[in-house]
Amino acid sequence: MTDGTDTTSAARGTAASSGPPERYFLSEADLRSLVGDLLGAGTEVIAPLATDVCQSPSAVAASACTLPGAAAVDIDYRPLAGADELDLSRGLPQLSLKEHFLPEHEALCRWKQKGTTVEVEDVPVEFAPRVVLAAKPCDSAALAVVDQVMNWDYQDELWNGRRAATTIINLACPVIDESCFCTAVGTAPDDTKGADGLLTPVDGGYVLEVTTDKGRAFAAAHAARLSDDVPADTRGRQAADERAAARARVAANLEIDAASVRDWIGTHFEDPLLASIAIRCNGCGACTSVCPTCHCFDIIDEEEGVGRGTRRRCWDTCQAPTFTLHASGHNPRDDQNVRYRQRINHKYSIYPLKFGEVLCTGCGRCTRVCHAGQDIVEILQAIDIAARRPGEAAAEPAPDAPEPVTS
Amino acid sequence: MTEAAPVYTGVDDLRRIARELLEAGDVRVIIGYENARVGARPVFVTDPADADKLIFDTRCVHNLVTYLNPRRDHVAELGKIGLVVKGCDAKAVAGLLRESQLKRDDVVLIGVRCGGVLEASELPAALALTPENVAPRCYGCDNREPTLTDHLVGEPQPEPPRPVMTIDERVAALDGLPAEERWAFWTEQFSKCVRCYACRQVCPLCVCEQCIVEKTQPQWIEPSAHPRGNVSWNVTRALHLAGRCVDCGECERFCPVGIPLSLVNRKLQQIVAERYDYKVSDDPENVAPIGDYRLDDQQEFIK
Repeated sequence: MTDGTDTTSAARGTAASSGPPERYFLSEADLRSLVGDLLGAGTEVIAPLATDVCQSPSAVAASACTLPGAAAVDIDYRPLAGADELDLSRGLPQLSLKEHFLPEHEALCRWKQKGTTVEVEDVPVEFAPRVVLAAKPCDSAALAVVDQVMNWDYQDELWNGRRAATTIINLACPVIDESCFCTAVGTAPDDTKGADGLLTPVDGGYVLEVTTDKGRAFAAAHAARLSDDVPADTRGRQAADERAAARARVAANLEIDAASVRDWIGTHFEDPLLASIAIRCNGCGACTSVCPTCHCFDIIDEEEGVGRGTRRRCWDTCQAPTFTLHASGHNPRDDQNVRYRQRINHKYSIYPLKFGEVLCTGCGRCTRVCHAGQDIVEILQAIDIAARRPGEAAAEPAPDAPEPVTS
Repeated sequence: MTEAAPVYTGVDDLRRIARELLEAGDVRVIIGYENARVGARPVFVTDPADADKLIFDTRCVHNLVTYLNPRRDHVAELGKIGLVVKGCDAKAVAGLLRESQLKRDDVVLIGVRCGGVLEASELPAALALTPENVAPRCYGCDNREPTLTDHLVGEPQPEPPRPVMTIDERVAALDGLPAEERWAFWTEQFSKCVRCYACRQVCPLCVCEQCIVEKTQPQWIEPSAHPRGNVSWNVTRALHLAGRCVDCGECERFCPVGIPLSLVNRKLQQIVAERYDYKVSDDPENVAPIGDYRLDDQQEFIK
């Protein structure tokens, strides 16, 4: 499916690049022209795009979906049709950037059955160069974290191909709310992990910092739109101040010792705190859909007529009973507390023990999307407290009458 | 618009009843609402001393009957449940009773008189209801005082305000479109679906042990989130709730991509009302068309 180039090292590549970051200034108009250049050259540009869902497909149907407030606007990472669509004031997209690297579903092969033989046909895949602009740092960092498992015992060509073909320029995060906690899990609102550069808004435009070879190549290719005019005492300072302030705002939400949390979870499998962690959880799995790091997928065959069909992979969720249902009928994770514990365990203990990184970048989507009130900030806080003071945590509710984690 | 902060009356009684039920051992857990870090959320109170955590205000939008659903093994393990129910929620309890998913003695129902709830529960404080913030489903509520209860608290409440646009008006606007535009609208809406099945999981009346979408032999509904599979799933989900849906709006509220499911649900309610002269109520004896058989059925094909 790939052309045999070394996509793996390129995918992991951002960290491997050397040299100090380069800084440029570009005005709002320059940025728009740069997007125009990319689109003009046929390069796909993906950015957070807001759609007023009530604008389509007609004005009358539009009124049919008009809800007061934010529900009327969808923000998603989508390809831009024109430079004028770019709007960097938008908040966190509903779905993370992962959908552009691990799509909700994709065809792996097609089959045709003729008598007793089965013909399998490859699905051609092309990895055209593309640019993601204004990615949220929590979303790009998630790609770098997931790179590890995608290159563990099997090198995922589809993931790596897309990673290698994509240049990602983050936007220093302008939308921090009470569910954000990136700084507690090793990233930051101005991180370039998993990305190739960072835009920081300053008076009159943006400071662009490129941090990888791919990023430097991007800057070189668009030199006409960039200026070196980033004096350390004005624009440079403003950008640095903005970034420091954002970090401080997130850090106020949550501070944990990720290593203690990792070790505590690993050694307290049956602790009442973990065993009763999901009493209010509906097991809907929306948290895993919107999560930038949840990467589990299912491979399924879909029949498209008699004797023919398509094998696809599509997102799966550990919050569904079918995720672990055995053919025998036995289910090792047979209730929601246990399934939720698995999610916490995998993110904050299993993955860090295996790959050295937390499988979470603190975007807070799981909390925001959970209308039953499962709050990951609160849960991590509770585990952190238990990890620091194991004596007190052990005195929590009796196993036969579990309480919610904290209230 | 948001001067008053209406915490509904009867909260003291609610806490007292909850405490007494727990102390007497009549129930092992009270499922109600509490203040969370951000807004109101479900709470499971097992210690009588914690009964004061319970609240009831306009942010208490959740239909807690979902926790009585027989699929909730981990909740059932807690023991006998005392449940706080609004009028709409009580209809869902009736639905479970009607379909033999629950025995009346399995649960103690603490009804709350309700004058409507907000569209969103994730607010630091309760707000007075206005046409802009009221949950549209509350407009025209016929059960502000639930009858299917063991205890009833609070004072009678006035009708909720009329929302800027009612659900019926939205449905009518869609109905007024040519079929192809309506189809385009729904195709676009369903194309957003990521097949997380949050709508099903949260529904108090989605009680099947094995959902049709999980069946693989044969595979009735394609599991991939492509438009074809998405339309199959969403239409099937809606049809399985026809005449059963209590209009609690939880499916729409939990949808992570904002599909306006209440419009589908309401359309089906309208059809069921017209064809079978049936309206969902909190009377368990009020048999739903989908679970009923009558010799005088007007549908010829069934005889």
